Amino acid sequence: MIEIERLTKRYGDTTVVDDVSFGVEEGTITVVVGTSGAGKSTLLRMINRLVEPTSGRVLIDGQDTRSIPEDDLRHRIGYVIQGYGLFPHRTVAQNIATVPRLLGWDRKRIADRIEELLDLYQLDPAEFATKFPHELSGGQQQRVGVARALAARPELLLMDEPFGALDPVIRAKAQDDLLAIQRRLRATIVLVTHDMEEAFHLGDRIAVMDQARLIQYGPPAELLTRPAEAFVERLVGTADRPFRLLSLAKVEDALEPGLAEGEPVAASGTLYEALSRLMWCGRQDLPVADGTGSVIGRVSITGILAYGRSA
Amino acid sequence: MSRRAVMIRLTALIMLLAFISAPNLFAPVFEPLTTNNAPAIYNQGNLLFLTMAHLGTVFSAALASTLVAVLLGVLVTRPSGVEFLPLSRSLVSIGQTFPPVAVLAIAVPLVGFGEKPTLIALFLYGLLPIFENTLTGLTQVSPLTLDAAKGMGMGPTRRLYEVELPLALPVILAGIRLSVVINLGTATIGSTVAAKGLGEVIIAGLQSNNTAFILQGGLVVALLAVLIHDGLMMFERLLVRRLGLGPAAA
Repeated sequence: MIEIERLTKRYGDTTVVDDVSFGVEEGTITVVVGTSGAGKSTLLRMINRLVEPTSGRVLIDGQDTRSIPEDDLRHRIGYVIQGYGLFPHRTVAQNIATVPRLLGWDRKRIADRIEELLDLYQLDPAEFATKFPHELSGGQQQRVGVARALAARPELLLMDEPFGALDPVIRAKAQDDLLAIQRRLRATIVLVTHDMEEAFHLGDRIAVMDQARLIQYGPPAELLTRPAEAFVERLVGTADRPFRLLSLAKVEDALEPGLAEGEPVAASGTLYEALSRLMWCGRQDLPVADGTGSVIGRVSITGILAYGRSA
Repeated sequence: MSRRAVMIRLTALIMLLAFISAPNLFAPVFEPLTTNNAPAIYNQGNLLFLTMAHLGTVFSAALASTLVAVLLGVLVTRPSGVEFLPLSRSLVSIGQTFPPVAVLAIAVPLVGFGEKPTLIALFLYGLLPIFENTLTGLTQVSPLTLDAAKGMGMGPTRRLYEVELPLALPVILAGIRLSVVINLGTATIGSTVAAKGLGEVIIAGLQSNNTAFILQGGLVVALLAVLIHDGLMMFERLLVRRLGLGPAAA
């Protein structure tokens, strides 16, 4: 559990972060979203004390971060930035080994961890371990950047626009990879972005910031159904609000009893995908299958539309 | 480096070694340049010994310049030393603008004749390229890389030794190379204050109006400069490759 309590940062007369408080549950992704200059990065950098707060504090599992020596704190918190900042003079393996080496892990343990992480990120250790960053593609650099941040099993992972330098196709894949890895490792992540799509796609909770203040903090659906201010409404976009909601909801949320013809859709898929399938194949309803493939009910266009209105 | 380039350098090296170890073999070549039966080959000292003394002076001065310039460069790029940047820049620049001959003139009354004044002149003269390159090298390290290093919990000392200096090293080495090559030539003036070196040969030639001597001294110094320049450059390239900085970063 990460608790951010009344964090404030002022540079002279300018307040960059103004009295921001929120809590991050263990094993969840919190996305801090806002326009550039809203204070998102400064907020993030106060968590690992790259920026010292003017007032307020950050607690990690109840422990005040100011009571931990800076470098020790940072060894416990993974940090990924836009552009990744990989060490150009070190191989992929050496880059990933950075924090474990600082922590004095033995050679064998570091080597095992590097291999594990490269496997996790589908980078063949035999091929990639000895490569230098300039020999990698943008997507590969991004993966190495995250692997390096995860190397010493941090309690918290901070990511500042981690997908900002990727082209849209690779970005979507990188986001899915991050989600998959986060679910698998049950990692706690605070991620900063200016991309609302990204926030909705990744966030268990979203913190919206504008002009140094935290305007709203809650699950994605809440931002859509109960936007706290006109700014949030503008940011999430009112026109395609129902579609965003559908992309947040699972098929099982609009599950109806009964049978239907056709290829079943997965219960764990989103309603957005189900609606898209229904429209494309021209049917009123489709069967729904659970993880094992057995049909557990049906989903219909009218059911989905009703769900979209009710939310 | 192409095969031809390697061959040329190898030939130059062999010629140089042959000449300084057995100069009398080359007497017929220099004979036409002499008049009144003057000796064709420098005969007032051993060329090999003079070359070694010359190199010794240059490299000791370069070593001292490197130590001071790199240390100064590191200090003024630390947050606590930034204030001293303009001051140290001017000091080092003065070292370069002051002609080495003038330094000799000032130094001789203070430290006497011989090696010492030459070392002082060369040391001051060689500071600037190394200092400036150290600054360039350290300041061109990507702020992203440094931010990542700091964010991962690398302290200032570790950042300096493990990130900043390795990344700045190619540029610093280029500065040292420049400094050494400049001083190989400059060191010849040391002979005017009785420092052992190849300047002796040139000065003897000037005094006795013997073109053969002047040419011998000049050629040996020039060949040394070219070969050392290339040798250091090869070393830099090797290092850049070893550090994985790639051809682009070189």
